[in-house]
Amino acid sequence: MVKTDETEPNSPSPYPLAAYSRSMSPDTRHLLWSVAPGAIWIAIFLVLPSFYLIGVAFMTNGPYGQPQMPLSLDAFRQLAGFGFLGWSPGNLYTLLRSLWQTFVATGLVILVAYPLAYHISICREKWRPIMLLAVVVPSWTNQVIRAFGWMNLLSPGTPMADAAQFLGLIGPNMGLYPSNFAVTLGLVYNFLPFMVLPLYAAFEKLDMALVEAARDLYASPVRAFWHAVFPQTLAGLLAGTVLVSIPAFGMYVVPELLGGGRAMMLGNLVANQFSGGSNWPLGAAGALIMLIATFGGLYAMRKVGKRLGGGEEVVI
Amino acid sequence: MRRGAFKRGLTLFWWLTIAFLYLPLAVIVFYSFNSANSAAHFAGFSLRWYDRLFHNDQLLGALSNSLVLGLASSIVALIIGTLIGYGMYRHRSRKLGWLIVLIYLPIVMPDIVFGISEMAFFVSIDRQFGVLGPSLATMIIAHVTFQIPFVALIVYSRFVGLDPTLFEAAKDLYASPYKRARHFLLPTLKPSLIAAFFLSFTLSVDDFVISFFTAGPENATLPIYIWGAIRRGVSPEINAIATLMIGAVMIAAVLSLLFNRQGRRQ
Repeated sequence: MVKTDETEPNSPSPYPLAAYSRSMSPDTRHLLWSVAPGAIWIAIFLVLPSFYLIGVAFMTNGPYGQPQMPLSLDAFRQLAGFGFLGWSPGNLYTLLRSLWQTFVATGLVILVAYPLAYHISICREKWRPIMLLAVVVPSWTNQVIRAFGWMNLLSPGTPMADAAQFLGLIGPNMGLYPSNFAVTLGLVYNFLPFMVLPLYAAFEKLDMALVEAARDLYASPVRAFWHAVFPQTLAGLLAGTVLVSIPAFGMYVVPELLGGGRAMMLGNLVANQFSGGSNWPLGAAGALIMLIATFGGLYAMRKVGKRLGGGEEVVI
Repeated sequence: MRRGAFKRGLTLFWWLTIAFLYLPLAVIVFYSFNSANSAAHFAGFSLRWYDRLFHNDQLLGALSNSLVLGLASSIVALIIGTLIGYGMYRHRSRKLGWLIVLIYLPIVMPDIVFGISEMAFFVSIDRQFGVLGPSLATMIIAHVTFQIPFVALIVYSRFVGLDPTLFEAAKDLYASPYKRARHFLLPTLKPSLIAAFFLSFTLSVDDFVISFFTAGPENATLPIYIWGAIRRGVSPEINAIATLMIGAVMIAAVLSLLFNRQGRRQ
């Protein structure tokens, strides 16, 4: 692994690469040999394809669904709802629906995870690892299987569907899926652990002296929570929000299985353009938006995390 | 008094959430023992769907595809990732920001963009040069790409946890690079390498989206097979195979708990 530093005489070498390698300091050479294979692998098989995809987003859709020259913004125009036959906002609705679903699902996940993480943090210490594991284990099963489980639970004739029918939420002989509701449910189900873990980390470090001080100064429980507890959990909340909202925005399996055409999200729109729909530039444009959202979200988290201080130690 | 009610409320909320988390899995397990071909009512206990599993050649083929893919990609990723992890540690004093970005890229990239960009890339290369058409090879390439970062980070964090003087000691005793690797690096790394291998393997076997978009028609893995069966209209065998997979996860959970306990006791 480690090359010994025998200084070689500068003999002319028939192999330019070998000569170049020899001209470097042993330390640099070591760095290159250890890091290069992986760096090159990721560069060729992930960075290059991503740039290719970004390029495709700015090309024109050919008659057989192949990207063609000239460069244009057609794909983005189609995404914004300007089709060949005039205004058809289907794609735009899909985009907005993805944002809305991400927003609602993340909000619901916070509402569930916050008390849950707090509860775990105040339980007996020997139970805490087991409780955390209990929350995480369902997410270890394959996501296709998890969505399938919800299909079973929400299909017509099941108790949940019957109850919804009884309340008049859905028509007779209908199930609760496919629907936007089922997609939201599936997203919350998928991403709950991603929020519980960073929040639990925040609660575990909670400085209770601050809370006691607030209570001694006759703060109401609500005020004590708001001024003494909540700020201490903000970093965890932020980390959880990024961990939930970014993958939720790009979700493919849940909307595909639990939502129908009317509950489609951006991931499905992208995938459809590469299989059935065959409009590569449109699909690539959707993927580009997803990439921008991902890196924008991560960048924003770094910025805010730095201001909060200590936000960065909560990573995955 | 009010405090007690608050705590009881929390406990109730905890159990409701646990029910929410396990209900979808429990339903699958329950119906896998259903003797009727239906997901709506339970007609009696039976193991017929499990029996069918072992005579379903397509499904057994998918299982073997999953295992081959998982093993092959994990071995490649283990080698490449370990090298990066070691390089990152040895040269941590240098400015390696670009490398960190490169390594985190596969982790933060949304699955669907990951899969689609590789698919588009491979398909275009195949059209131009007639190589890298969708096949087991493209799947292995894609899987290695998302496994490398996890291996590198595990190995790196193991090194960071070591006493840096150990490296000096090995050098001072005039150990050759080979001997240093053989008697110092590899033994200290062994637990991390095993962990990294199993994590890579698990990630590979569990992956659906990236495999789905890079697979050829003959390379369906277990999740892809299940996906296809669900889309074609559910066969009760899916409940049976899904139950076996859920069982495997539960066993893994219990094992991880036991290992953690043991680790803390030592």
